[in-house]
Amino acid sequence: MKTNIRRLSYLILGSFVLLGFYIGYVNVFLGPVLATDPHNRRLAVYESKVHRGTIYDRRGTVLAQTDGGRRIYPLGQDAAQVVGFISQRYGRVGLESAYDRYLLGMTEKDKIEVIMDRLLGRPRVGNDVVVTLDARLQQLAMQLLGKRQGAVVALDPRNGAILVLASSPSFNPNTIDHPAGRSSSGKVLTRYDLLQQDKGAPLLNRATQGAYPPGSTFKLITAAGALTTNPEVAKRIFNCQGSLIIDGFRLTDTAAHGSVDFNRALAVSCNTTFARLGLEVGAERFYRTARAFGLTGDPWTGNPPEVAYRPGTLTLPEKMNKPQLASSAIGQGEVLVNPLQMALVAAAIANNGVIMRPHLLARVQDPREGVLLQTVPRPWLTAVSPEVAGIIKEAMVAVVREGTGKEAALPDITVAGKTGSAQNPKGDTHAWFVGFAPAERPSVVVVVIIENGGAGGAVAAPVAREMIRAVLTAGP
Amino acid sequence: MKMFSPRVHHLRAVEGKLLFLAGAYLLAGAGVLYFLKPAPSTAVVLVGALITIAVFWGLHLFWLRTGFAGDPFLLPLVAVFSSTSLVFLYRLNPAYAIRQFVWLMVGLVTLLLITRLPLRYRVLADYKYLYTLTGVIGLLLPIFFGVEQGGAKSWLDLGLFQVQPSEFVKILLVLFMAAFLAENRLALAEGSRTVMGIALPAPQEWGPLLVMWGISLLLLIFQKDLGAALIYFSTFLAMVYASTARIAYVCLGGALFLAGAAGSYALFEHVRMRVEVWLNPWQYVETAGYQVVQSLFALAAGGLSGSGLGAGLPLFIPAVHTDFIFSAITEELGLAGGLALLIIYMLFVYRGFVIALGARDDFASLLAAGFTALMGLQTFIIIAGVTKLLPLTGVTLPFVSYGGSSLVANFIILGLLLNISHETQLVNNTSGPIDFSSNYWRGRR
Repeated sequence: MKTNIRRLSYLILGSFVLLGFYIGYVNVFLGPVLATDPHNRRLAVYESKVHRGTIYDRRGTVLAQTDGGRRIYPLGQDAAQVVGFISQRYGRVGLESAYDRYLLGMTEKDKIEVIMDRLLGRPRVGNDVVVTLDARLQQLAMQLLGKRQGAVVALDPRNGAILVLASSPSFNPNTIDHPAGRSSSGKVLTRYDLLQQDKGAPLLNRATQGAYPPGSTFKLITAAGALTTNPEVAKRIFNCQGSLIIDGFRLTDTAAHGSVDFNRALAVSCNTTFARLGLEVGAERFYRTARAFGLTGDPWTGNPPEVAYRPGTLTLPEKMNKPQLASSAIGQGEVLVNPLQMALVAAAIANNGVIMRPHLLARVQDPREGVLLQTVPRPWLTAVSPEVAGIIKEAMVAVVREGTGKEAALPDITVAGKTGSAQNPKGDTHAWFVGFAPAERPSVVVVVIIENGGAGGAVAAPVAREMIRAVLTAGP
Repeated sequence: MKMFSPRVHHLRAVEGKLLFLAGAYLLAGAGVLYFLKPAPSTAVVLVGALITIAVFWGLHLFWLRTGFAGDPFLLPLVAVFSSTSLVFLYRLNPAYAIRQFVWLMVGLVTLLLITRLPLRYRVLADYKYLYTLTGVIGLLLPIFFGVEQGGAKSWLDLGLFQVQPSEFVKILLVLFMAAFLAENRLALAEGSRTVMGIALPAPQEWGPLLVMWGISLLLLIFQKDLGAALIYFSTFLAMVYASTARIAYVCLGGALFLAGAAGSYALFEHVRMRVEVWLNPWQYVETAGYQVVQSLFALAAGGLSGSGLGAGLPLFIPAVHTDFIFSAITEELGLAGGLALLIIYMLFVYRGFVIALGARDDFASLLAAGFTALMGLQTFIIIAGVTKLLPLTGVTLPFVSYGGSSLVANFIILGLLLNISHETQLVNNTSGPIDFSSNYWRGRR
């Protein structure tokens, strides 16, 4: 009988051990999810006791601030999607949501201070967050977009700091839960309700969530694939007849460009040349190159996300036939990207092939004790070799100097770029410009897309030019 | 002070040292509660803590004087549970702490009385059918005269306070089982007849067991007290296994349990709801699942080190002071505190089984094993319930949850465990035979 009792004791004590592991699992692994669950009243209680921190841009301009119990967004619609808002009714979005634990002072580092505040009866003050955005550039971008739908992205290719994420149309985050109308049944609708129904999708952050065909800007990736596979491509002469027939599918060009070298082909954005290069590279390598530029990935994977990000999509190589490959090589077909993604493609070329991890957080600072946390730039992907990046950069300089991107040129500054006029089902082509400057030592990448705007060179390039001018003449 | 055998002295010395630590623990908790709101009215918490420490010490000194050789670890462990209970109940609602304090005193006096008659528990073996009757009556009363609390109709209103008979009936269950199994275990283990090649015991040998089990289960279904039913049943199985080692009985019991569970799932709405909530609490987050979801939030809110005593928000859990006190403790003392409490329960269970293994005969051994299994299973069932590992069934966390009946019943169990270990020590320390029928110890006091 003693043996049985001993076995029984093992069973019971063993189940206690299991229970202990399970509680540890709930606490450690489910903990973060449970803590931010909308049904958890603790967050609201905590928030009501904390003076929420301020969000500053890189120059100290206030982007979001609590004043008299109200959250104020001085930039209004100019940074609405990226900064986001908090609302009792609609929760929190954008940076307001991403940095909640800093703004409320809920990180591990704050724990001792929480105890001190409680002991000394001090009001609890959250931390301030400084972001890499530049309010002036953000405002300029929105001004340049005007009433047109589209997005502007600017970032520093040397470290991945995002300077501008502009998206038009926008909304005023200060009045998000104000009543603004009535539904057909007489129910009071808030501004948010109306924005949700708006066909222009003002709540969408086009800069990171847009899904656009990249058009000719995608030739940068095709070029990288071709040059990596065969460096001789840089010295080859291509002959453009104005169209190309692939397995019975006719791919037409904007013009018969005749005999062109690699730089010229990119400068005039020759479709037949890049379609041919795409076919030469092959579906498998083409897909791999796109992935190397981060096309299907999310740069925030493994880190707390700062923006809502829609990774790009591209047909899988095994499902891609030759006509599809040829049109994907010139950015048509089934390729869809967001503007920040194209900025990262340009950043790879600007930064000798290495894409730095894009980020918005510059630092978190305690109002009393200084900097708590600082972002350290880290590489994300190596897209191409420095040699290949150098060759493509040269060709991009030619695009602005003598090709389709002339409108982006600035006096005394060498701008490198690539235009795109992406066909789409909704009407006129989307106008793209992807570029960086100064070409010798690139410090800013700019991407502009204007939906159904027409030709990239005529519509998007001037916007990019003004952005580059503002960045490079304003100083750091 | 008279000197007893060095062994007794040693045991009590260990107990004294450990009680000192438990006292420091209670004082620390009471101190925090006082300094959170330093006011003359809050000083009651310090007074209560000092009285509690004094009473535990008084009991310890009394045992030292009378040469009581019971296990030296159980009382300090229970002192830690009681301290945790008082501190957290005060933090959640001072009124509960004051009532719990009174019940704690009642429990400690009960413990003292039981340990004054250390060898009398053997008499209990002779009246096993009497408890069956008492138990049945105890369980029947609330069905007719009971008041409902938290969905279960298991309380009797005695005017001044309410009593939950099922808490005491569980002691009778273990006593009956131990007595019955000690007498019949060989017959049960080997079987006295063969049916289709399987050795089976005669109906008169297993019949009473099954009847007892059936009665208790039926009554509990009528009382809607699922937690008690689960504890009764699992303790029943544990004791049958311990005495007979026949897996067939455990399997049969398990099958009976599954049949009962399926039946009550089909028949009773409240059982169905419990299971639904367990499987998908988020679907009922505003209704039936509210409590367990709030409990999960509390478990997660504390992190590793907890929000600190008085700094969490455990009152978001409805009825947190009874079944859900473990979640409140984990929120404020963190994962570390929750696991520490779990380990202290494991130590209690460990000591209980050590007593069972050392016991003099089958009855004592089964009794100790039964009580220990009961305590261990009850702790497991409620903690697993509030953490959503098992469906929630309302039972108390032994010695910690608010509840007078439960606390006093647990002290009775503690007293009987201590008496069994006292007897073991006695046998091991006496060269000559002891006449257990005489009142050997009475003359010494």
